Amino acid sequence: MSMEKKRPQLNLDELHQLKWLLGGALALLSAWSVPYLDVNAWPLMLTVTVLVPLMLLRPDWAARWPAWAHWLVFPSVVLFFAVDLYLTKEVLPAFVRLTLLLLIYRGTSLRQRRDDLQLIVLGLLLIVVAGVLTVSLTFAAQILAFTACALVFMLIITLVEAKDAGEKTFKSGKSENVPAWTRAPWRPLFARLHAVMDWRVAALGTALFLGVVGVSALLFLTFPRFELANSLFLDRLVTRHTHSGFSDTIHFGDATDITLDTSVALRVEVPDPAKLPAELYWRMIVLDEYHDGEFRASALLRNQDEVYFNENSLLGTERGGGPGAWIFYLEPGVSRYLPLVGGFATLRLGARTDLRANLTTRVVALRSDPATLVAYRVTGMPIAATLPAVTPGMGVRSLGTMGESDRAALRRLAGEIDGGAHLGATEFARRATAWLAKRHGYALQIHLPPGAGDPLVRWLSSPAPGYCELFAGALVMLERAAGHPARVVAGFEGGDWNGFENYLMVRNSDAHAWCEVYDDTARAWQRVDPTPGATSAIDEAAALAEPLARRVSARSWAARFDSLRLLWYRHIVNFDQRSQRETLLAVKDATQQIGLRLSAAAARMVAEVRAWLSAPWNGRRTAKFSVVAGGAMLLLVAARRVRWRWRWRLGATRRVDPVRREAGRLLRRIANRGLRTEANADLAGVRAELQRLRYGACETWPASGAVFRRARRLARR
Amino acid sequence: MTTKAGVMGADWAGPGSSVRWWRDFKWSTLLWSLVFPARPESIAPTLPGLLLIALSLGIGSAAYNTGNNILFIALSLLLSCLILSGVLSWLNFSGLRWRLVPGPALRVGHDAAVALELRSVKKFLPTYGLWFDLRAVNTSSGPHSISSGQADSGPGEKKSVREILAAVDKAETRARLFLRDRLDAGEEAHLEWIFQPARRGVLRLELSGVGSLFPFGFLRKTLGGGLRREVVVWPAPVEYRGEGTSVAPRRPQAGDRVARVGSSSDLLALRRYEAGDSHRLIHWKASARLGKLVVRQFAAESAEGFTLWLRTPAEIWTRAEQFELLVSFVATLAEDLFRAGKLLCAVVNDGPPMAVRGVRDLEEFMDQLAVVVCVGEVESRESRAESKKSEAGNAALLERRNIITFAPDGARGVAAYVDGEKTAAA
Repeated sequence: MSMEKKRPQLNLDELHQLKWLLGGALALLSAWSVPYLDVNAWPLMLTVTVLVPLMLLRPDWAARWPAWAHWLVFPSVVLFFAVDLYLTKEVLPAFVRLTLLLLIYRGTSLRQRRDDLQLIVLGLLLIVVAGVLTVSLTFAAQILAFTACALVFMLIITLVEAKDAGEKTFKSGKSENVPAWTRAPWRPLFARLHAVMDWRVAALGTALFLGVVGVSALLFLTFPRFELANSLFLDRLVTRHTHSGFSDTIHFGDATDITLDTSVALRVEVPDPAKLPAELYWRMIVLDEYHDGEFRASALLRNQDEVYFNENSLLGTERGGGPGAWIFYLEPGVSRYLPLVGGFATLRLGARTDLRANLTTRVVALRSDPATLVAYRVTGMPIAATLPAVTPGMGVRSLGTMGESDRAALRRLAGEIDGGAHLGATEFARRATAWLAKRHGYALQIHLPPGAGDPLVRWLSSPAPGYCELFAGALVMLERAAGHPARVVAGFEGGDWNGFENYLMVRNSDAHAWCEVYDDTARAWQRVDPTPGATSAIDEAAALAEPLARRVSARSWAARFDSLRLLWYRHIVNFDQRSQRETLLAVKDATQQIGLRLSAAAARMVAEVRAWLSAPWNGRRTAKFSVVAGGAMLLLVAARRVRWRWRWRLGATRRVDPVRREAGRLLRRIANRGLRTEANADLAGVRAELQRLRYGACETWPASGAVFRRARRLARR
Repeated sequence: MTTKAGVMGADWAGPGSSVRWWRDFKWSTLLWSLVFPARPESIAPTLPGLLLIALSLGIGSAAYNTGNNILFIALSLLLSCLILSGVLSWLNFSGLRWRLVPGPALRVGHDAAVALELRSVKKFLPTYGLWFDLRAVNTSSGPHSISSGQADSGPGEKKSVREILAAVDKAETRARLFLRDRLDAGEEAHLEWIFQPARRGVLRLELSGVGSLFPFGFLRKTLGGGLRREVVVWPAPVEYRGEGTSVAPRRPQAGDRVARVGSSSDLLALRRYEAGDSHRLIHWKASARLGKLVVRQFAAESAEGFTLWLRTPAEIWTRAEQFELLVSFVATLAEDLFRAGKLLCAVVNDGPPMAVRGVRDLEEFMDQLAVVVCVGEVESRESRAESKKSEAGNAALLERRNIITFAPDGARGVAAYVDGEKTAAA
């Protein structure tokens, strides 16, 4: 085959080098998605990160795997997986480690076509699994980079096969047959790539990839959504542990050191930011039984739990909780209890799942700690410090398993607070809060006073500082000692307003515990926060004076990045049938609006032009009109010339060369003017040069600009 | 040797062969072709393609099963990659045209070269990774079957399916040519197919398909080649030996001419100008057309020579191998005599005598030899009836001397007779 080529071509060895490079990049890209998974695979991750780049640089080492090693790989990997599964009893982490092991093998040994395909499939699986489990924004970047890399990789594989068609290829495991390309240096490859590259092809390739992204976005938006009756299976294959420490119990140990985790745990889109109070309490769990130094949910409360299997919506007990919907995005690893402000009319989750709901305490929980982000939409949720009791009078007054001396101490302290008078629960709470604040400071690191007896009573009897759970627990026990039902509530308090996308960011460090005391007269549970520095719910008027959104508005780069995360959650992760319908309606409305605006603008312009034309004409207006029209014409002609020249340079038009065209035009002009060459020697010379420009070979052309200038000058005479 | 365009006829074929393709473009045709591709076109998934489809199905069912948008994103990316693959493949094929250029002469047992010319009329996009499936099918049947209506194996004898398939395979030569390098926009490539024709006759060269795995190897796309050309394969040259009386020259007779250079007024041939040729002999029109100087050659005034008369009655040539030997022998003898300037005329059966004045006449005779078959009694009579017009010529032929005829020589051989006297055998 003989071919004339202008640009050089990559030879087979260079294509193999490029393929090797891209394969390694794919292995690294996919392996680096593992840290986002909560899977213990750091040793393997480090091995990939070290070995694969090393083999990328020295493929000749990868070619030296002995044949017996290749034979041993498969049984070894299977054995590793079996042992791993047996020891950990967790399928997904074992699968991830297996995939990493295979990636190490494929990334460090020479690959044939099927091995390349295996590399792509393994990498894709790893990234998709990581994306499904973490729903992280990083997934978007990773999958796009992986797709681009994999497409080029497959293209190179196809080119290698086309170039190598019918030839013998390297067979892994035969070390005596080390291909020559493995010893080739890398620097010349990049120089060759630069020489081979055609910017137009590269630009088209980039545009096509952007087209792929656009088409996939379009497909994503237009995929018909309908819900089937099964929930995600992957999250059942991995065991999750909560990061914030929320659990069914609050234990008061001897010493506690709370570390502040400032990562965002919850994002909330609120219906009306102007009506947000300065202090918001996100209730998650209610603990009403005190037993052996810890608070937990009593059997009475647990019996009121209603269990829902595979549901995605709940009906609450609230009616008229205000218009609009709250949309919550609860990060994975926070808790299985869903944060809520209070009661609700409806609660709808993004996907069907198993739920436990206690409509008495207004606590909703998932069956297990979620492995992925949980998004839910709540309507009819009032912001109030009181929670109407569903079953009035039902509340726990018991001091639990406390010893008699501790009970007596508690009663003594309660008597100290109310001064022997029988106060209502709310009034007692106010005094107790003040009493606690007077005796105890706030600290994250505490040491309970040593000694026998109940830890809470020991702390109450001492001046030691405490944290929210101690204050809440102490107030509950004091209320009960005074004869009022009370309970501990755990959740989050407050949050930062993100002004970029207008939502609340609640951090793990906002985790909090407070109390609810039962008010007999109001037949409602009244929120009381005894922790020093907190706004007491009893001063609700003050709390509502300054909306949260105005008070704390984060405008940092971190907030900006977090707003991107919310966009990802809102438009991608939480995209459902309703969002699809809303998007389509928005597109329709936007199109109609644009059409209406354009037609209105056109009508306005026509009216203005008509009015301007119908006005009396004078010299100034005529000159103005001429200048504008002339300018427009000039612009049009110039634009046409520029476009034509550009297209001619690109080879998009096959018409005559612009120089030849101009020479022909000037020749015609001279002929039309009837200029006689006999009478003018200069004209004869110009004409000859114009003819040469018009018909002659390019190599014989004179300087065209000078000839055209002379020709125009002569033609004007 | 002659070539003629086949059924599809056009010189160039391929997506870029039509300059103004958009005039014939219809959306309905395009959409229908996507649903139901035309017969020679096919799209079949490769192993990676099947893997991609299985992966898409798995991710798709998981996405619908769970409503997880991450899976929907992965699914949409996979599907859009499939769409990109189709678009790139279409861009790769578009603007390409190809044609088959057979070599100057094809002979049995000799290497034959068929060139596939490939031209890209794209603006700037290169073309990669194509393959071309070529077929050469001998359309001629055995020496007995066409005219006599008998099978090669004889009347009453039935062939098994396996034998028929083997015969078909034998009559067909296949090859796959690869475009290994990049074909840039506006450039040409020549792929060459070299093979050895096994049988004389009419050989149909077909570009049965143009395929590609470009760009990602998901799908094997095949377009119909759209090219078919028929070429004639001349008989193989054979060794022969002279026997008895040699081919003796005869006295020249009026009207006899030989195909060699002379000084008569009859144009014999054109050849390239060589130093020393008279300028008056330059054929200016042909020179202008060919772009090089060409001179005229005239035939000799008179010469001694021979007339070849090939008669192929089926009752004489009963063995196919012997018949093939006969045809090869005649072809070899004709060439040798022509080279020696002694071939005056050639006749096949009852056809009109054909004066061999130049190379073109010899080639025409060779073309006849390539497709000659045994004639039966009935056909022989019919052809005789039909060729009454040429009887006068044949009568004149019979009056000639130095007529070379052929007859079986034993069970396998063939002998040549000059005026009834055995002269050579093969």
